[in-house]
Amino acid sequence: MSGAAPALSVRRLRKSFGAVVAVDEVSLDAAPGEFLSLLGPSGCGKSTLLRMIAGLVEPDGGQVVLAGEDITRVAVHRRNLGLVFQSYALFPHMTVLENVAFGLRRRGVGEALLGPRVERMLELVRLGPLGARYPRELSGGQQQRVALARALVTEPGVLLLDEPLSNLDALLRDEMRVELKRLQERLGTTMIFVTHDQAEALILSDRVVVMERGRVEQVGRPEEVYRRPATPFVARFLGRANFLTGTVAGSEADRTVVALEGGDLSIVAGARPGLAPGQPVHAVIRQESIRLEPPGADAGANHFAATIVFHAFAGQAHHYVVQLANGRELEVATPGAAVPLARGARTFVAWRPDDVVLLPGGEPGPGGAR
Amino acid sequence: MRPGSGWWLLVPALLLLLAAFVLPVGMMVPMSFRPYVPLVGITDGFTVRYYTRLLTDSYYLEIIGRTLALGFTVTLSTLVIGYPVAFFLARTRSRWRNWLTILIVFPLMLNLVVRTFGWIALLAQNGLVNQALHALGIVDSPVKLLFNFAGLLIAMTHIFLPFMVLVLIGAIQNIPRDVEDAARVLGASWGSTFCRVTLPLSTPGILSGSILVFVLSISALVTPRLLGGPTYQVMSTLIFDEFLQRLNWPAGSAQALLLTIMVLTLVYLSGRLARRTGAGA
Repeated sequence: MSGAAPALSVRRLRKSFGAVVAVDEVSLDAAPGEFLSLLGPSGCGKSTLLRMIAGLVEPDGGQVVLAGEDITRVAVHRRNLGLVFQSYALFPHMTVLENVAFGLRRRGVGEALLGPRVERMLELVRLGPLGARYPRELSGGQQQRVALARALVTEPGVLLLDEPLSNLDALLRDEMRVELKRLQERLGTTMIFVTHDQAEALILSDRVVVMERGRVEQVGRPEEVYRRPATPFVARFLGRANFLTGTVAGSEADRTVVALEGGDLSIVAGARPGLAPGQPVHAVIRQESIRLEPPGADAGANHFAATIVFHAFAGQAHHYVVQLANGRELEVATPGAAVPLARGARTFVAWRPDDVVLLPGGEPGPGGAR
Repeated sequence: MRPGSGWWLLVPALLLLLAAFVLPVGMMVPMSFRPYVPLVGITDGFTVRYYTRLLTDSYYLEIIGRTLALGFTVTLSTLVIGYPVAFFLARTRSRWRNWLTILIVFPLMLNLVVRTFGWIALLAQNGLVNQALHALGIVDSPVKLLFNFAGLLIAMTHIFLPFMVLVLIGAIQNIPRDVEDAARVLGASWGSTFCRVTLPLSTPGILSGSILVFVLSISALVTPRLLGGPTYQVMSTLIFDEFLQRLNWPAGSAQALLLTIMVLTLVYLSGRLARRTGAGA
């Protein structure tokens, strides 16, 4: 991601609506050809950020830099960006061909050159024979492809996508994800993709920007933000995780011991320099990191007796809730192919110390020592 | 609900339409072909002379032409004046929005006769408008604004403007902002976006607002009568006089039927136009 000049940079961008700070000093870089996702719950400012980049919302402060050029004050129609809307926003009074040709015509591309470019783009999104149709005569997926073709045909510096797949049903959404990713790899267009769907962000992105309350919580590759969440918010928002609060009881060269709230249990995490004993922490354990083991297996670290209190089958995985000896409950997911355990069954849970993420906890719990 | 089973909901409206429109118009058809003999009244017999007179006599042709011209110009001027107002009201986020909308509708709450007399006071030889024009040195002698086309145009534009604005507000509010934003991101300036996206997508509202104002203005009676005087006639005042002063019901019926046919033709044609532009999607 380093080396090449960024295709798009956002520098300390700010926007408030009345007393509400929508985007709070956000800085980002997107490398050429990168697929960057802005991920967060609704109201986290991701759409406002995207609209500021597009020029549809005027920032209160900060800069938008496109390929080295400051475009913060450049009019929307001179920015050479593409934008795909959740609502598709096709021109209902124009045919598919006219929709796709719109951007080229505004750029003064002659009719002779325009035809082939529009045709080629429609082929690329597999809409070749539908050029004469009106948007209302197309399915949702087809309309979304027209929107993509219309935005891409002008060869924008960066393509912005605002929840483009949210209006499609689940099956079509999966299909369009693959199609979008392949299109991006083929054209090499830098894309900034806004979504509230963590699975979508993880699958599509080169890097994910997790946002909350107008701020960037973490930027990283999908595996990074998933495996090594930097904040409790990121850990909660991406995937299902168990949160255990406690304090650091001991820090050794290769491991950290955490005494959980209540003082009845200790768990072992990987080495984490910088965490002093007595420091309150959240221990985050993904539900799929926890194994269910039969009695009698080798009892290493993080090995506890448990009872199954809930089981559900979800195709790819079995979901369990297990109760530890002291009543503490954990969520566990095991591969769907495994033989399930019945409710009430006695078992053992175990997880590797390296699968425990320790996040400094702001406030000590009720029983926590400080 | 079974498809089509909701038709009974239309029954009250259809009955009203039958009693108040279809029956009277149906009764006018035979009436318009019966000869009227002065001092005797409506006699038995058959004649087409009221139709031939209406379509050949230059006096009547002038009145028909004037009525249509008035209808078109009033429609055009309410559209030109009303569109920017409707656009503003449809788009503003100001907290004054509701008050401004009420202000647009407010003239409708005043009696039509009162409003028309207001215009007489303003447009008369020594009325406010002429006094102002004279005081500003724009004219030397008073401009004739009453009992002619200009006066009717001014007053009727004012009276029918609220209808146009209200219809247009609805149509403009229905245009998704995303669609306009998409045009701008694709490289269309504000003006280009307006001409190529906003205006075409407001066609349904422009058409229905225009039909409404056109039909209202060619059938208006009170304003043309009061501002046009007894001599400057339009079709509705002509029909009124024929029925109630000359008591020539057959002639009045022929004129009223022609007016009805003109209105229905126009509504039909604009419906076709709306479908052709496909903007109703």
